[in-house]
Amino acid sequence: MNSNNKNYILPAIVILFSFSMIMFSTVLLPNMIFKPKPSEFAVKYTPLEARGRKIYMKEGCVYCHSQFVRPQDRDFGPLVMAGDYVYETPNLLGTIRTGPDLSNEGGKHPDAWHLAHFKNPRTVTPGSVMPPFVYLKDDEMKALIAYVQSIGKKRLVKYQRIYHPDELDKVLEKRKVNVDSSAAANAGRGIFQQNCATCHGTHGLGNGPNAIAIGKKPANFSRPFYKDYDDVTWFWRVSEGVPGTRMPQWERLLTAEQRWYLVAFLKTIPRENEVYPKAYENLNAEKWVEQNIISEKELNSQKPAMIIETKGPPPAAGGGH
Amino acid sequence: MFFSDEENSASRNFIITAVIWLVVGMTLGLTGALEFTAPDMSTGIAQLTFSRIRPAHVNTVAFGWLSMANIGIVLYIIPTLTRSKLFSNKLANFVCLLWNLAILFGGLCLVNGYTEGREYAEYPVPIDVVVIIGLLTLSFVVYMTAITRTVKKLYVSLWYMLGAFFWMPIVYFIGNRTFIRLDGLNDGIVNWFYGHNILGMWFTTLGVGIAYYMIPKLSGRPLWSHSLSMLGFWTIAFFYAPTGTHHILQSPVPEWLKALAVVFSVALVIPVITVLTNFCMTMKGNWWQLANNLPLRFVLTGAFFYFTTCIQGPFQATRSINWYLHFTQWVVGHAHVALLGTFTFFDFGAIYYILPRILKRQIYSVALARAHYWFTLIGFLIFFAAMTIGGLVQSAGWHLGIPVSQWGLEMPPYWVFRAIGGSLMWFGNILFLINVIQTARGVKPLNPPDIEPAMSPAKG
Repeated sequence: MNSNNKNYILPAIVILFSFSMIMFSTVLLPNMIFKPKPSEFAVKYTPLEARGRKIYMKEGCVYCHSQFVRPQDRDFGPLVMAGDYVYETPNLLGTIRTGPDLSNEGGKHPDAWHLAHFKNPRTVTPGSVMPPFVYLKDDEMKALIAYVQSIGKKRLVKYQRIYHPDELDKVLEKRKVNVDSSAAANAGRGIFQQNCATCHGTHGLGNGPNAIAIGKKPANFSRPFYKDYDDVTWFWRVSEGVPGTRMPQWERLLTAEQRWYLVAFLKTIPRENEVYPKAYENLNAEKWVEQNIISEKELNSQKPAMIIETKGPPPAAGGGH
Repeated sequence: MFFSDEENSASRNFIITAVIWLVVGMTLGLTGALEFTAPDMSTGIAQLTFSRIRPAHVNTVAFGWLSMANIGIVLYIIPTLTRSKLFSNKLANFVCLLWNLAILFGGLCLVNGYTEGREYAEYPVPIDVVVIIGLLTLSFVVYMTAITRTVKKLYVSLWYMLGAFFWMPIVYFIGNRTFIRLDGLNDGIVNWFYGHNILGMWFTTLGVGIAYYMIPKLSGRPLWSHSLSMLGFWTIAFFYAPTGTHHILQSPVPEWLKALAVVFSVALVIPVITVLTNFCMTMKGNWWQLANNLPLRFVLTGAFFYFTTCIQGPFQATRSINWYLHFTQWVVGHAHVALLGTFTFFDFGAIYYILPRILKRQIYSVALARAHYWFTLIGFLIFFAAMTIGGLVQSAGWHLGIPVSQWGLEMPPYWVFRAIGGSLMWFGNILFLINVIQTARGVKPLNPPDIEPAMSPAKG
């Protein structure tokens, strides 16, 4: 080594030192201290599924489909945790989504759908840009479908089972709110005025002050369509919000009890063009007033003024608007 | 050809084969882009399916074109800067042969589905071994040349190049180690350490090093500030390596690692600003030279795109912006503006300057070269705009929670414009290939040497 090079010994040492420090902190350290334990959702693949995973890798599915749900994603199911990935080597996290995220794909579609979709995606998803994988042999296709059905299935079962028929009864049993009572409806009315009325309007007709500024107009609950909603559908819709609109996922903001109160209120909104409920047709007005006369004692009681328990058919609210 | 010991023969071989790989890689990319506009185009042909073409495209342009072109240029620049001969042309030529075989067989493996499945590290193990051997041999050659130099001081380009040849073998080794099995997320962390540092410690350092050589050389003006350039080098050496985790910022990897990645990504503004300040101050009062200096025009267009990509990059890595832009075609646009817009343009400029000096012949046709510039530039701008705007449409779709099947229907215009931009670039680079081959064959040049003095060996 000639004398020229001696001046560069120090810089060389600095480069070596800094680079080894960076190596240590970003490559070695994470692998030393970040050792997530397998969570209850970590999937140990069966031989068939493992084979399917290899085909998934071989066909390069990862270049369009990611496998982790971000906090801001809607409609892709529950969030993932570090422990879920313990058996996922090599990683198939992905960095681009030309197609949907697949971390909770298992169980979302039946096998027949997957088969049709792999053979020609356009038959089941018009406008899709996914390439057709017709050249896969039958056994490869079977393995691939088995793998896709296995991704995140446990996670989905754990968190979204409440809409599954087996679980629904238990959920409804635990519910403390009687959605058919007018007391619950009145409680729901308060929640509705606080949270929903700015868009949906005080009478739920989709004409709140914000409606003018929103691209996709808020729903008018007096439409006949909404009269077909059962309690669970209402609850699901309020909880999940409406993707693609400003309707938020109330699940994240309101308790289950509050949402059930809202359901009770939403059910009482009358159908449009329904001037009065059918029950009123045979109503003797004088008799109804007699029946529901409120005594002075009752008026002066501590009971909230909003809650008026009628004994006859319900009064018409917002009819004729 | 590959066994010669002639001076600069390795540089020549690397550059000419790289240009062939460029056209191959671009053809693959264009095929992929066309498949987005007509997805049933490849029905039944496994090798032409988009998801298999994509890794082949990425690896061919990254290792076949950009790495080989960079190496070829560096093998010319290092002896001129050290005023000594390359340590061994024979070894370098041997690596060139190995590397070409690796790219060929690697590409064939990838389109046939033999892949390791990790992004940027798809090549199967035997190919990795060949690439590692090649890299280590080249490092040896480059360092031996630098040690036996006759110039006392190291110019900044040499710092960058020597740094790159030190970092790259290590980074490549870490990224492609398959004998150590890591659990899912750790595998992802190491994968993205590699995936980002192949850009940072290899393409960026070599590319910027080449630009630092080319701009003063082509404009005939001395570099504005040597100390500022050293600041750029040291900050890039310190700040680039830990940034990889910003590719998986919303996945459940440790928060401290994400924080580290974000902080260092933002800090990368410093080297970028120093480099660009230096370039612009060197060019101050000399911008008129772009009129009849095509190589300089290429390099400075690259510098402009370097500004674009490096302003996008640090901001894209912050959590709030990554939150919105991640997973979309915006990122594809960003990746192309770095590798195609910046470093490929640097290499184009450098090749137009270096090839005449190696071959001692003028470039075959100035008109072809100019057409190459405009086709590539306009094609790239169309491509970049389509990807960026399309990416914003996608982000809006994700954030409104609209299903992919719905916002996907809005994407075809962007796919079409991408294919149009890609076709223009592809055509431009066919012209480039013709030009390079004609020059290499020694066909009589079409123009007198004084139209583009930089593209004839007489000057400089």
